[in-house]
Amino acid sequence: MAYDDLRSFLETLDKQGQLLHIGEELSPEPDLAAAANAAGRIGDGAPALYFDNVRGFTDARIAMNVHGSWRNHALALGLPAATSVKDQVEEFARRWDAFPVAPERREDAPWRGNSLTGTDVDLFAVLPLFRLNDGDGGFYLDKAAVVSRDPEDPDNFGKQNVGTYRIQVIGRDRLAFQPVPMHDVAQHLRKAEERDEDLPIAITLGNDPVMSIVAGMPMAYDRSEYEMAGALRGAPAPIATAPHTGFDVPWGSEVVIEGVIEGRKRQLEGPFGEFTGHYSGGRRMPVIRVERISYRDDPVFESLYLGMPWTEVDYLVGPNTCVPLLKQLRAEFPEVRAVNAMYTHGLAVIISTAKRYGGFAKAVGLRALTTPHGLGYVSQVIVVDEDVDPFDLPQVMWAMSAKVNPADDVVVIPNLSVVELAPAASPAGITSKMLTDATTPVAPDNRGNFSTPAKDLPETEEWVGRLKSLLAAR
Amino acid sequence: MICPRCAHDTIETVTASPVPGVWDVLQCHRCLYMWRTTEPERRTRRAAYPPEFRLTQSDIDTAHETPAIPPLLTH
Repeated sequence: MAYDDLRSFLETLDKQGQLLHIGEELSPEPDLAAAANAAGRIGDGAPALYFDNVRGFTDARIAMNVHGSWRNHALALGLPAATSVKDQVEEFARRWDAFPVAPERREDAPWRGNSLTGTDVDLFAVLPLFRLNDGDGGFYLDKAAVVSRDPEDPDNFGKQNVGTYRIQVIGRDRLAFQPVPMHDVAQHLRKAEERDEDLPIAITLGNDPVMSIVAGMPMAYDRSEYEMAGALRGAPAPIATAPHTGFDVPWGSEVVIEGVIEGRKRQLEGPFGEFTGHYSGGRRMPVIRVERISYRDDPVFESLYLGMPWTEVDYLVGPNTCVPLLKQLRAEFPEVRAVNAMYTHGLAVIISTAKRYGGFAKAVGLRALTTPHGLGYVSQVIVVDEDVDPFDLPQVMWAMSAKVNPADDVVVIPNLSVVELAPAASPAGITSKMLTDATTPVAPDNRGNFSTPAKDLPETEEWVGRLKSLLAAR
Repeated sequence: MICPRCAHDTIETVTASPVPGVWDVLQCHRCLYMWRTTEPERRTRRAAYPPEFRLTQSDIDTAHETPAIPPLLTH
């Protein structure tokens, strides 16, 4: 089942008991953020939250925690709600192979129905904005799919980028914007600023659930997020032409904000409580001048709470970080079995691999550091054997505790690149990175006493079935 | 009124609640901090504003620029 917009997905979540409508009147702050924060503290089955009675607003409709549980993430991919995490990642990886699926252009986008331009542009007139965390410098748009093009190659569909970045509202028609240098939009901005030009930009809010997943996904620079959305949805992604920039934007967006990043200008931004579980900010960042807002009738404002993990963002970017790393590693090393990069967008990564020969597992781990995503993340890698499930943390801890001889199996490399937001970096943007080889050494690496591992008995698998049957029959 | 975060005294009203008289959104002219008048005191009153998030003129003047503005291409 492919959803063309946020609304149809919210209907499915409601039917599946995975959407909680909170109709009682509440305060924009701190209630909205506190409720979404709490959704991350009530277990794996947390629902999306929908608010439509917020004090002081006349027609606010706010959706939060839409991807904020494994059940909701499964439903976003059209899978049964109870699908296990490992199975969700494997299905994600299977669908990836259908890339590229050409999008379908539909120019009857519902957001064409309403617009504000020129001096009428007022973000507050369309969006029920609110603060998330105490130290945030203001109100943020933190779940947008942001579209920009390469100024040197504007007609290249693949280089047109769709990404999620943090965006602070600093005026009725002004936004502060964070392009992390490792991310594609930063390359677009650099090229524009080298030419003393503004960078046109389209910010789309309230998208279908797969669009939000691909927008947060580390993809190669010239690969189209729309073509990846088509692969993951199992159906072409519907797109339409944004009226002011001419960019390709999702057909089903609730709101499309267009304007420019003003070239060679920086203004104070933040702080903002980030996915790292720490605030970052108080830095001078690029500024967007909003020139047009298009929106559906009765738009739904989608926002995402993030703070100390786990919160919605960890579910949203968990599988979508695992799969690109898995595919990039496996392209060169088919021995790689699985990648768990679900911790802080892949700052820590666990890789399961078979070994070709002694030293091979360390090579696989080091390669993870130099993947495109690894340049900005992957500051700790744990490599485990092919029979260890990297999503099963007790198994991973067993490998760490039993297989690792720290003097030989822990490698620390100083002064590598990482996102500036990484709290342990010093200076910001630079960190050491650590590889822990928790695999069993193989020839000619003959270290340790691993010749007689205790394996599950041959009859155990049959007994698993018998025990389950006996328990079910009680 | 002063900014809860940087104590600057030029404050602008950015917008007012669609239901008249419930709240206003205010913004500091200097540090751009934005708040709603109905938020908890820890976000709206200088005396209650957390020290770790306060800003001074010096903090603003020395804020790191990111990403750095690149040199212009020479033709």
